[in-house]
Amino acid sequence: MLTPMPTLDPSIRRILTVSLLGLTVGALASLAAIGFVEAVEALNHWLLISPYARVLSADDPMVLKLATVLVPAVGGLGVGLLVRFMIAEGRGLGPPDAILAVQTRHPPPGLPSGIGSTLAALLSLGCGASVGQYGPLVYLGTQLGALAGRLRFAIRDLPAVTMACGVAAAIATAFNAPIAGLVFAHEVILRHYSLRAFAPVTVAAATGHVFANVIFEREPLFLVAFAGVQHGHEFLLFAVQGVLCAGVATVFMKLVLTSTRSAARLPLSPVLRPALAGLILGLVGLWLPEVLGIGKETLRFATIPGAFTVAELGLIVVAKILMTALCVGFGFVGGVFSPALLIGILFGALFGLVVPGWLPLPNSGIVVYAICGMMAVTSTVIGAPLTTILIVFELTRSYDLTIAAMVAVVFSNLVAYRVFGRSLFDVQLANRGFDLSLGRDKAILGNRPVAAYLHRDYTALLPTDTVATLLRRLGEEGRAEALVVDDGHRYLGLIRLQDALNSEPDVPLGPLARDGGVVFHESTTLWQAMEQMQDFIGEAVPLLASDGRVLGVVPEGAVMGGYMETVHDLRREENAGS
Amino acid sequence: MICDGRKMPAVKGLLLGLGLLLTAGSALAGEPTPLVVATWGGAYEAAQRAALFAPFSEATGIPVQTVPYDGGVAALEDADGWTVVDMAIADADTACEAGLVEALDPAILAPAPDGTPAAEDFLPGAFRPCAVMHLVYATVLAYDERAFPGEKPRTVADFFDLARFPGERALRRAPVGLLEWALLSYGVPRTQVYDLLSTERGLTLAFRRLDRLRPQLRWWQAGDKPIRMLLDGEVAMASAYNGRVFAAQNAGAPLTVIWDGQLLDANVWAIPAGADRQRAEAFIRFVTRAPAMANLANHISYGPARRSAQRRIGRHVETGVPMEVHLPTAPRHLERAVVQDHRWYTRTHELRERRFRGWLEEGR
Repeated sequence: MLTPMPTLDPSIRRILTVSLLGLTVGALASLAAIGFVEAVEALNHWLLISPYARVLSADDPMVLKLATVLVPAVGGLGVGLLVRFMIAEGRGLGPPDAILAVQTRHPPPGLPSGIGSTLAALLSLGCGASVGQYGPLVYLGTQLGALAGRLRFAIRDLPAVTMACGVAAAIATAFNAPIAGLVFAHEVILRHYSLRAFAPVTVAAATGHVFANVIFEREPLFLVAFAGVQHGHEFLLFAVQGVLCAGVATVFMKLVLTSTRSAARLPLSPVLRPALAGLILGLVGLWLPEVLGIGKETLRFATIPGAFTVAELGLIVVAKILMTALCVGFGFVGGVFSPALLIGILFGALFGLVVPGWLPLPNSGIVVYAICGMMAVTSTVIGAPLTTILIVFELTRSYDLTIAAMVAVVFSNLVAYRVFGRSLFDVQLANRGFDLSLGRDKAILGNRPVAAYLHRDYTALLPTDTVATLLRRLGEEGRAEALVVDDGHRYLGLIRLQDALNSEPDVPLGPLARDGGVVFHESTTLWQAMEQMQDFIGEAVPLLASDGRVLGVVPEGAVMGGYMETVHDLRREENAGS
Repeated sequence: MICDGRKMPAVKGLLLGLGLLLTAGSALAGEPTPLVVATWGGAYEAAQRAALFAPFSEATGIPVQTVPYDGGVAALEDADGWTVVDMAIADADTACEAGLVEALDPAILAPAPDGTPAAEDFLPGAFRPCAVMHLVYATVLAYDERAFPGEKPRTVADFFDLARFPGERALRRAPVGLLEWALLSYGVPRTQVYDLLSTERGLTLAFRRLDRLRPQLRWWQAGDKPIRMLLDGEVAMASAYNGRVFAAQNAGAPLTVIWDGQLLDANVWAIPAGADRQRAEAFIRFVTRAPAMANLANHISYGPARRSAQRRIGRHVETGVPMEVHLPTAPRHLERAVVQDHRWYTRTHELRERRFRGWLEEGR
């Protein structure tokens, strides 16, 4: 603790500032989330996507058919243009960008890209694309948090905390589930639970709750009545269901990735890809309207026994997986959270309809299986088991349903982690070179170039120089090793004092130099450096440009220092108090 | 609106003529011209006369005359001499679009007695472009207490549960209300009912639920029929207008209302195009004050559309029955209400009729 001062204690000032920032960011993110969701609903209504709007126009079936095909296609064209001209990154932004910004402490893509991405997501969802709304909301929260993080309050890790605040408030508002919002920000975005971040993020989540529940009195995503799990053996079924859900989620995630790769290989301009996906979606929608949009009605029907036959459930699950993979892969802007909810609840209902029927055992009805399926698939896709368990708890207030969902969620995550990875976001990030699968230490060390620790003072000699020159230079410069370079300053090898001691003074260095030792490149990361240095004995490792020129050396101590600094920084962030 | 008494058009014309004569006569005598209110007759009009019109005349010296109005929009095309009209909300909105009623500025309305502005005091959605909502009525499910001496039905789902609550059921022979109730019985939240009924799947589910009742189902058309069927022991449960059930209860009938899933609709005041707007606005301001609206609710069990009036409701003026529990707008009843979606109803008229007729045919 610092010496007492007559003015406000700095830690109190920091608590006040960060809490107020949490409140402000929370309020803004919450309002933005409500505005976004409302705007999507309004667009769905105007563009004849929502069943309610469609039935109001039922007396004009031709208009309905045309709208079903043309709205997603034309909307897709609009999305393609928005992405092309407004988003510098050339793709929609979402949770992976939020995770990357927070973990690497780099600012997220700029505000114009953020605005462009939000507009493109709005258009995608408004036109009925089979994508989710929570991904864009998470990014919207991140963007608002990043703006607040730019304020100069001289507080460590501020941008990460404010971004987490924005995310927490957006999720708290959208799901009407403040605890889930709070946990999501930690589980998915921050990936640690320090008290310093916890407090403002809680303030933001609570603010989101106040806006969603008290001021605007928004409806929760779903309400179900459930009497309770009647039979103990059903927990075994929930576990089995979890494992199957891991399979569904893995297929879904792999298809999203495959579709993204295939789209890139298609001889079609990226501007036109979403339009093509929209056209296909619209044609499928003519025959199976359930694939259009977020599908709140379908979500509800899945919990009603008898609303679907087994064949219908299977068909819609498959169609929704394919259409979502198509829309996301071909460049509609939106998330995978809402489609995962829908796929999961339908698959859950399917399981609940089929499996307990096979067994000569009583069961508690379709609702609990539907909810378990929904959460098991979703938690695996977004990599947030705790969050999804809490969403069930907050939305249904049913302890029984929560425990059942918990079992399914945990088994689903366990299996999917082995087969696929922690989440679609993490795998997408890993494909972009930021691998969180071995924890944030490795991801961050793996993203920090060792070139940052480059030293320019080293001893370099030509192969034609003699041992005598070597000994003299090393003696003068106080080193035990020198680099041997050609006249283009390209690296040929390393020579140590002990290599030259038994040689005659007039022997040239060329044949004596050791090649094949440890070298770094400009792209070598701190993590790779640490791994390579396990077999390294010596003072410093040469760092080479791509053409083999020596740029400098990285002393062993500097690599160790850099590693320690990064790890300490992470531990300090994770354990920070107020 | 529930018609508490239907007059024949001839009578209507006669009354209107008489009204005009009287107007002319009183004008000659130097008395103020009466204000003409088009309303629904019967017990409802009697309650309005006692609670609203008489106090208005007393306060302003302007006599109030009524002309019969049976609902609909067509009547407004021939509304000469009408100053205000008491309409169903959907009709008022349609008439507004057709330019048959004047635009109404909510600023003319009085604040609550405690100073709360009218905008915060009236129920959400009370201000229409050309009208202001003044009362709320409900179509409810009710049962004969004698039929269920043991466990009592409490929810819409119980209405569809013939195993736990055996007995015949009566519903209005129209695709109004029964689809909503059928979906509610599956546990669908009331706010999602119309979204789900907009899908083919939702309609199918609703009719499938009605299939369950089919062998035990009776139909009614006139508003007093379900009450008679219940009292005669012909059916054990029925849908009915809440005012009718209250009237029967007041007369000692052993009926109980299941407020769960009550289908709310509302009446509004509107000014026919070309009427004397200033007088009409003064009248509307007077009869929508909290004490006046509460007074009406003490005569007949329709809920006032503003909160300050709801807080002022006491006992029935004749029988002394506490009124609050009989009103569709009582807070605990509102929690379980479905607000009838007028836009949806207007636009799905054809669809609902077709599906309903088809379903009736299927059962033949």
